[in-house]
Amino acid sequence: MSKQVETNMEGMTRQQLKELETKEMTPFQRFLEVIIVILPFVCGILAIQEYRLVPNNSTNRNPNTYLVFLILLVAAYVIYGLVAAIKRVRGDKGVYEKLRFKAPLFSALFLLLAGYDYLTLKTGILTQPFVPCLNFVLNAAWNDREMLIECTIHTLWLLFLGYTSGVVLGLITGITCGYSKRCRYWVDPIIKFLGPIPTSTWIPIMMVVAKSLFGGAVFIIALGSWFAVTVASMNGIANVDKDYFEAARTLGATERQLVFRVAIPHAMPSILSGCTQAMSSSCVAIMIAEMLGVKSGLGWYMNWAKSWASYDKMFAALFVICIIFTVVTKSLDAVKRHVLRWQNGAEK
Amino acid sequence: MEEKKVVLKLDGVSKSFAKVENDEVTHALSAVSATMESGEFISLVGPSGCGKSTILRLVAGLIQPTTGAVTVDGKEIKGPSPERGMVFQKPTLFPWLTVEKNIAFSLKMQDKLKGNEERVEEMIRVIGLEKFRDDYPGQLSGGMAQRVALVRSLINEPDILLLDEPLGALDAFTRMNMQDEILKIWRKRKQLAIMVTHDVDEAIYMGTRVLVMDANPGRIVADIKIEEPFPRDRSSASFVAYRNDILNKLHFGGAKAE
Repeated sequence: MSKQVETNMEGMTRQQLKELETKEMTPFQRFLEVIIVILPFVCGILAIQEYRLVPNNSTNRNPNTYLVFLILLVAAYVIYGLVAAIKRVRGDKGVYEKLRFKAPLFSALFLLLAGYDYLTLKTGILTQPFVPCLNFVLNAAWNDREMLIECTIHTLWLLFLGYTSGVVLGLITGITCGYSKRCRYWVDPIIKFLGPIPTSTWIPIMMVVAKSLFGGAVFIIALGSWFAVTVASMNGIANVDKDYFEAARTLGATERQLVFRVAIPHAMPSILSGCTQAMSSSCVAIMIAEMLGVKSGLGWYMNWAKSWASYDKMFAALFVICIIFTVVTKSLDAVKRHVLRWQNGAEK
Repeated sequence: MEEKKVVLKLDGVSKSFAKVENDEVTHALSAVSATMESGEFISLVGPSGCGKSTILRLVAGLIQPTTGAVTVDGKEIKGPSPERGMVFQKPTLFPWLTVEKNIAFSLKMQDKLKGNEERVEEMIRVIGLEKFRDDYPGQLSGGMAQRVALVRSLINEPDILLLDEPLGALDAFTRMNMQDEILKIWRKRKQLAIMVTHDVDEAIYMGTRVLVMDANPGRIVADIKIEEPFPRDRSSASFVAYRNDILNKLHFGGAKAE
């Protein structure tokens, strides 16, 4: 952000102002700063050496996978650091500050990896193969990658179908009900009745009733998202400040425009928080659906791996689930930040 | 630019509201009659509850009279129209639109934005907020926001400009600046302006005519022409005389006013 600061020092950027206002660091502080930034690298090397030098407690096939993984992580940090350093020399301190902020966390991550490896592979305090070391998990993920990718695609497709149909229908019902009292009269009881039932409750019923379990799962996920989005957008629209409608009407807005140009944008924060909530409920529902009934997807894969006692595969699937849900949630957040960018300006 | 002359008539207008908490009814206005026309700057002054905002909202078309009629050039007002622009006490800028888009809102709603972009530019220039065009209302100060709200309704070149205590929430200095800015804008086009205010000085400083109102039931108790050339001197003898006269009509002001 390079917002113009409203002072007599014309043309000054936020960054420059911050620099002007920060106190000069003492040599000791500067030294500490350098240590903090280098620390993740040191911890990374430590993790690599721990893996290479400490003798194993159990047999470790394909030992290089985890090693490559660690080296890639350390290399990524080094590249990040180089980019930050180059940008800093060129006058843009933003990347560097982000790196400096995250550096302690990266260090902790490497230490955690080293610690986990020590507890599993090196000493067996956490028994193998029930809590597999990362090398096993990475090998399992790599060897079974085709199946994992297929399952990931299946899960994402199911999530996409259920979530989008639920959100779209939720928006339609929520907005109409928020706006029309008659519509709310009919829909409110349905929401009051269905609302308290957790979505996963429907899964056994679906397994009996639905012709295809996939369709049933879509329905369950959609139902959960529909509910969250309907409630959020209904409240959002119903709470639009009357003053905005009056202002818009004196400015010549038609009834239709009042809905699309005033009510919906005004309710956007509420609608989007409903969408976020719908996403988390969908993620829960999809996992339960896949573990109980649907014959594909990551949830099914985990269960399947468990029944074959391939705990390494089970953990691999867990990591993939973690990654895709993080990505999905992050992208939803990014959309939200972009749409609601007008809210950021409120800080003066 | 020659301004269209309009005549606004309130003919025995009453407006009553049902109270929310019980079955009673408040009589906000009782048989009010008045005629106003283009070129006038009407100040409505009076204690709270005297129905001055109700008059504005009736003229805007946001509410309908209980009895009587509000007409512009003989035609009854049926609903809001951009020809009667209104500025509220709160700026009510749409927080999700930038300054520029807020100003262009009305043209966009009427599908007139294409080809009229320079009118938006002109409005931004009039209030001197060129540097803030891409900012969101949350980033503006109270005075800036109210300026944007003012030109947002002025962009339609309304025949009647309704100002519902637009300066009420501003600090004293911004307020005096804005009084002059509004007068400057009004004197350029001489449309009919009606402003509600609590402030007797503001009413005299800006109005060509001051309608003094009283409550229970809401009615007009005096109609005073201010025969002073602009710009007016707040400390001149005649200004003070007007002030005393109006305060008298309001029972020395302090008795009933907030």
